[in-house]
Amino acid sequence: MPKDVLINVEHVSKKYCRSLKRSMLYGVQDVACDMFGLDGHNGQLRKNEFWAIDDVSFEIERGECLGIIGPNGAGKSTLLKMLNGIILPDKGKITIRGRVGALIELGAGFHPMLTGRENIYVNGAILGLRRKEIDRKLEEIVAFADLEDSIDSPVKFYSSGMYVRLGFAVAAHLNPDVLLIDEVLAVGDVSFRLKCFTHVRSLVESGSGIILVTHSQNDIARVCGRGIVLSQGRQLVSDSLAQAIRQYQELLQRTLSKASREPRDTPVRLKAVRTLDSQRMAARHFRSGEHVLVDIHYESEISANDCVFVIKLASHELGEFVSFTNRVAGQTIPISMGSGNTIVRLRNVPLLGGNYIVQVHMYNAEMKIFWDQAVPACTFDIIEPNPEIWKEFHTLRLEHDWLINPKCSVESFT
Amino acid sequence: MEFVPHEVGDFACSSRQTIAEIVYTPDSIRRHGWHVWGVIISEFLNSRELIWRLILRDVSARYRQSMLGYLWVGLPSIVTVTVFAALTQSGTIPVAETSLPYIFYALWSISVWQLFAGCLNACTNSLANAGSLVSKVNFPKEALVIAAIGHPLLDFIIRLVLVAGVYIWYGIPLKAQIVFVPFILLPVILLATGLSFVLSVINLVLRDIGNILGMTLTFGMFLAPVLYPPPTTWPSSLINILNPFSPLLIASQDVIGSGLLSRPQSFLFACLFSLLVFLVGWRFFRLTIIRVSTSS
Repeated sequence: MPKDVLINVEHVSKKYCRSLKRSMLYGVQDVACDMFGLDGHNGQLRKNEFWAIDDVSFEIERGECLGIIGPNGAGKSTLLKMLNGIILPDKGKITIRGRVGALIELGAGFHPMLTGRENIYVNGAILGLRRKEIDRKLEEIVAFADLEDSIDSPVKFYSSGMYVRLGFAVAAHLNPDVLLIDEVLAVGDVSFRLKCFTHVRSLVESGSGIILVTHSQNDIARVCGRGIVLSQGRQLVSDSLAQAIRQYQELLQRTLSKASREPRDTPVRLKAVRTLDSQRMAARHFRSGEHVLVDIHYESEISANDCVFVIKLASHELGEFVSFTNRVAGQTIPISMGSGNTIVRLRNVPLLGGNYIVQVHMYNAEMKIFWDQAVPACTFDIIEPNPEIWKEFHTLRLEHDWLINPKCSVESFT
Repeated sequence: MEFVPHEVGDFACSSRQTIAEIVYTPDSIRRHGWHVWGVIISEFLNSRELIWRLILRDVSARYRQSMLGYLWVGLPSIVTVTVFAALTQSGTIPVAETSLPYIFYALWSISVWQLFAGCLNACTNSLANAGSLVSKVNFPKEALVIAAIGHPLLDFIIRLVLVAGVYIWYGIPLKAQIVFVPFILLPVILLATGLSFVLSVINLVLRDIGNILGMTLTFGMFLAPVLYPPPTTWPSSLINILNPFSPLLIASQDVIGSGLLSRPQSFLFACLFSLLVFLVGWRFFRLTIIRVSTSS
């Protein structure tokens, strides 16, 4: 293994069993094989088994941060458990060099009756810190967790935020060579999250290797230099972070389009929703700042002078983040019997690169009667060819200008 | 660099680099062969501090929310012994003459039994009680089982104060052989821990084990000569041999009472048996824990 490689994962696979009873049976078989040193069935699948991780390989060098991204059930946590040594692979080989730290289960082994200080020692011992090391770092840990006032009260009086902060502070002070992170950065308030990110970055700079498992493409773009996409246990090949993020968006898109809609028994029903470009041609990919047209087809058994469309946009990270209706726009949309369609034009869409979901809800004129909804109705992508733009990571691009050295002093602000 | 490897993988610390390399393969756990015991013992030594820390945690947290505190340790055995003393004295339950005054005999035997039962119970439930610690954190899980001995052992030591009080009250002549008592209690603990190594793993998958054990221990006390002297007639004398706990208990009674072992062969056999159970249990634990750790 080359000198700077911290983690080397070679063709690793792990299988799981879908049925609980069978998994127990197989467990007994496997344990018996282990006991008598026989070769088990590691290589093949038995009835009801499937590969939760299938032939995954990668390497991490010093000072590198790798993001593992994938939809729910892709095998991210299984992979992380194997890297952490909680479970063994069924095929392949994992080589890790140095001390491994894991931000997976924060506050492991905390006893509610003990004080924060006592729990730091317990938690630290579990994570492999020696007493002397903890003595030395105690002040730092307490300060990092921001718990100077309550460190000597039992942790059962802590709020859940304080609890997690203390857990993170201990785990973060392991000074690991390899750090495994499982979406725990999403906890705590804004200032604490910022502290976590800063801490992770300083670890990378000091030469640790980091693996971040997440399903947030924003986190990946922000922290990681490289990304791996997992889908149903398999690893999708990608040469760059930007490509990995695109692959992930396509994956999400595919899972969404599988979701079926249940038929409704209302006088007005949505038939189809699609996105069009400014030439009114069906399109799914747009550039930031282009017009996006949403074409809504419906079928009606009644005619009405007016109705209300509520359109919502959602992203995978934020959920729904913006909505608009013809009511606020002050437009009436009459409906006639039979099928019809309405197009809503979103002008100069200021969204950053990513995959967005359109939701359509339809009500009668008074918004008292709910007619139909399509959630999700369709999705579209904003293509971002320049990976630098990922550094603007919060969905919207506000129009802005930069004034360089303008002629006004700070004093004039107040 | 200070680094304590405690993973299940194989270790290859080359002389050039000080950083440990951990390798996980499908057969990491089986590959060791006989030198597995070297790995087991070195890992045990490395996790001494963790075990001590876990013991401190359990012990110091236990009685923080209680007024009577450590009184709870001695109270139940006083009640049991008082009830049995009343029953035997009044002749409701006929009990043969014991080598020591009955109250002392029963109190001592109950203490030894409670040490055994307490260890078995605490160790067996240790993994299940640890929750996500087992399924999500990588550390030597034996530490949880071994640390669970701490509490029953401390309870035993506290009870000894009571036992010593009764000992002095009856004016039982002190024998030099009493120094051997710890060496008789050691196999008791080894036996309980060895059994728990196996039971705790199974309990992680099937929670019935904990319940069954609780029930068994309630009756188990009567399957050893705790509240009555060792039976001398067949077939009831079988419990002196078939129950691996009985020879150890009898030996402890002998050492305090006459100073001579009445059944040296069965005591020796029970000691070896306890050691064997302990070692096999430990090996079983290490082979299986990685397979079941995710099912907790």
